[in-house]
Amino acid sequence: MRLSRRTLLAAAAATLPAVRARAAEPIMAGVSGPLTGPNAQYGAQWKRGFDLALDGINGAGGVKGRPIEYVFEDSQSDPRQSVAVAQKLVADPRIIIELGDFASPASMAASPIYQRAKLVQFGFTNSHPDFTKGGDHMWSNSTSQAEEQPNLAGYAAKLGFKRPALLHLNTDWGRTAKDAFVAAAPGLGMQVVDVEGYLAAEQDFRPTLVRARDSKPDGLVLLSYYADGALISRQARDTGVKLPILAGTSNYSPKFIELGGQGVEGDWVMSTFFPGDPRPEVQDFVTRYRKKYDQEPDSFSAGAYDTMVLFSLLCAQFGTTREAMQAGLLAIKDVPSVIYGRVTFDPATRRVLGANYKLLQVKDQKFMVWDGTPPAAG
Amino acid sequence: MGSWLDYTINGLIIGNIYALVAVGLALIFGVSNLINFAQGSVYAVGAYIGWTCFTYLHTPLAVTALIVVVACAGLGVAIERIGLRPLAGAARIAPLLATIGISLVLDQLLQIVFTPDPRALTSPLPNWRISVGGGTIGALDLLIAATGIVSAAVLYGFLRFTKLGWAVRATAQDRDAARQMGVNTDAVNMTVFAIASALGGLSGLLVGMYFNHIDPAMGFQATLKGVVAQVIGGMGNVPGAIFGSLLLGLTESYGVAIFGSSYRNLFSFALLLLILVLRPNGLFASARSTPPEPMTGSFVTPNRPVRVPRWAIVAAVVIAAAVPLIPAIPYVLQVLTNAWLFAMLAISLTLVAGTLGQISLGHASLLLIGAYASALFALDSHWPVWASIPAAGIVTALLGTALIAPSFRLRSHYVSIATLGIGEIVGLVILNWESLTRGPMGVTNIPPLQVGNIELDNPRAAYWITLGILVLLAMMQTRLLRSHLGRIFRAIRDDDVAARAHGISLGRYKAIAFAFGGFAAGISGGIAAHQYSYINNETFTSTVSISALTMVILGGMGNVLGAILGAVALTALPEMFRGTAEYRMLIYGVALLLLVRFRPQGILGTT
Repeated sequence: MRLSRRTLLAAAAATLPAVRARAAEPIMAGVSGPLTGPNAQYGAQWKRGFDLALDGINGAGGVKGRPIEYVFEDSQSDPRQSVAVAQKLVADPRIIIELGDFASPASMAASPIYQRAKLVQFGFTNSHPDFTKGGDHMWSNSTSQAEEQPNLAGYAAKLGFKRPALLHLNTDWGRTAKDAFVAAAPGLGMQVVDVEGYLAAEQDFRPTLVRARDSKPDGLVLLSYYADGALISRQARDTGVKLPILAGTSNYSPKFIELGGQGVEGDWVMSTFFPGDPRPEVQDFVTRYRKKYDQEPDSFSAGAYDTMVLFSLLCAQFGTTREAMQAGLLAIKDVPSVIYGRVTFDPATRRVLGANYKLLQVKDQKFMVWDGTPPAAG
Repeated sequence: MGSWLDYTINGLIIGNIYALVAVGLALIFGVSNLINFAQGSVYAVGAYIGWTCFTYLHTPLAVTALIVVVACAGLGVAIERIGLRPLAGAARIAPLLATIGISLVLDQLLQIVFTPDPRALTSPLPNWRISVGGGTIGALDLLIAATGIVSAAVLYGFLRFTKLGWAVRATAQDRDAARQMGVNTDAVNMTVFAIASALGGLSGLLVGMYFNHIDPAMGFQATLKGVVAQVIGGMGNVPGAIFGSLLLGLTESYGVAIFGSSYRNLFSFALLLLILVLRPNGLFASARSTPPEPMTGSFVTPNRPVRVPRWAIVAAVVIAAAVPLIPAIPYVLQVLTNAWLFAMLAISLTLVAGTLGQISLGHASLLLIGAYASALFALDSHWPVWASIPAAGIVTALLGTALIAPSFRLRSHYVSIATLGIGEIVGLVILNWESLTRGPMGVTNIPPLQVGNIELDNPRAAYWITLGILVLLAMMQTRLLRSHLGRIFRAIRDDDVAARAHGISLGRYKAIAFAFGGFAAGISGGIAAHQYSYINNETFTSTVSISALTMVILGGMGNVLGAILGAVALTALPEMFRGTAEYRMLIYGVALLLLVRFRPQGILGTT
């Protein structure tokens, strides 16, 4: 074969994509979360949120021509595995931020490793008040219970509750939420008449509800996740408890209505975002989510989406090193967000304040913004 | 007063639901002496088949139920034929482990096919309800009660009055004798699995409709409650299982009424222990009935262990100690450190389960006790870490032995169930004893591993410390097994009647073994607490107990080296399959099944 100028050129052109690929090496985030095991459903929601955010970011050319990618390491939200995952992520120089884990025991067991490696651990579902105290590299945009519960209590008061009974998941999350609600109640003229902490894997709430009913409350407040919230509300109606029910933000999910059916009709749910919210970032998120997954988003997928958007902005504004992430989180301001209006971190607590709280009501098996009609006397 | 009626009704309703699973478990246990951990998974499969029929085929309830029954019966036949029958000649523990593996595989398959999201399984029944007391009862509640009672009645009739039923009972009493009399015991076993699985699937469908909620993890809780219920009624006793379930439901409901929701399962497990200690054959067993279990060698089949030459062990320890010297990635060190921590738990379990023959299903609770003890000594009493960890070992040895002591007179499966109950109780006490344990918030800011003022928080130091302690504990245990104590432990395992006839005080020697085992497990838990810096009641769950048992069986019951090998293998396997993300637990389950199938006495053999 004779080497012509054309073949040489063709050969040169063939090597070009390789060169371009190196220039467009992906920016990597490491995710530690549950893909299998009892919490796998939340990991699946995360993935949906992440992927949707990345469709938008990488579809628009990524960050300075580089696409953003993530490696999702399954920890089953188990501390033994999350520490191994942490060592793995810390040792991988491509990874400049870590997202997760899901539950506090798994996240906080891994915190010392991330802190030592100066890799930001961004626990976007970790509302445990001590999570961000693990070190100055622990950050969270999870809504703070200290802020959320007074809002929920405020809505309870608006609904006319004077003597609410409180049902909460007896985990670190549920306990923090309960304590914050109970603390906020007296200032709003409410007296919490009964507090029931139920166990994590519980499905049968009938005796708990009878106990709550016997304390003669005028409303039920649920600090639960959507799956147990739906079960409680259904069983309340079956046990003849007709009290108005108000549920916290983690109940906002299409699954709440799917699993609860007629049993959640008329329930009030506080939410940080609502698909009907006219803000463009919400509308963009919701319409694209529906189109891609043929289902409604929930607060877990919204949290994951927000987090990935935040990560892309950190990269765009502050650079793509581990140090840049830490510096960026200290400095970044007014990040657009589905859950918050605008995100700015408090450098002292490394958390975000100022989520939007809306009160929704289930009407005809749909979430609607509450129209202000007080509950009928139960 | 009105409320008590409500509590009673609510207790009966949930008891009704437990009964459906308990009956299937009782049937299988009655015939095969096997706690079928896969029963809950079949139940979940039944629920998902029902969901698929409702959603895509729009079949009416009767047809759906029929499809579920037929499909799950088929699944039961497959489980028996593929998973269990090949193990017929193997150690008695092998089928138990196989059901754990099958359960893992089924749960993971469900999760992969249907996603982990919970789904609504809406009941097509008319929505009429009768008021009873302050609450209501619906058509579904009555259907569930009818299913439980009718299936128990039909089973009772089948076992009493049909020829195949006689064959089933004959097989249950003495498999070899039945076979000599011309009973095809394989066919009997297959029939039993078909019936139990059909019932399991049907219960999954009904319970899914009752809660309007199904998810791939629903099986485990169902199995747990089913096991408790059937122990209360008498293992393997079908009508007893129904009674036990109702009693369990009532206990929970009244427990919530008196003490609150957070104590709920505490009462179920306390009831379980009470019944085990007072009437181990269950409330329904007649005093004359023969023990359902042969007296001797109940779990461990003697075989010749693999002899590992001393130089190979020394070489292995030297290589293990040298791993951190290669500039290895810290991830590997962390995985191996986890493996050493698990190995401490495994040698503890292999002592009580393998050498002494007391299979514990609650060993993770020892880790919890050790972790809390060391964390609280360090934080509340300001002890240095080097003192708090051994102290935690001692506390765990004492407390663990004290907790298990009332169950010393139990045998074989009953020990397993008692330890399962104790394990759950320890977790619930930690959750509820807030003044000491800080309740669900857990213990934060646990100081890292340190000697004096030198923090040993780099992966290498943690690795060497755990490896060193493990080697020390393993040497102590090997020494113990070679002494007269080891021989007495094995004598108790192989024939406790003969051992007693020789003047051996069973309780005293069991206490020594549990104390030694508790010490090793407590140390492991203590180190873990300082490594994680945060623990709460969910840090070590019952799945850890099951993994530990798997490790022990895999390595060879009673075999110290085997337990360590098992711990390394089962910690490393899921990590190796990490790249396969959602599929990794499935692969793990399949690997476990293959190991049980081809090397049921464990890698290194039992000793």
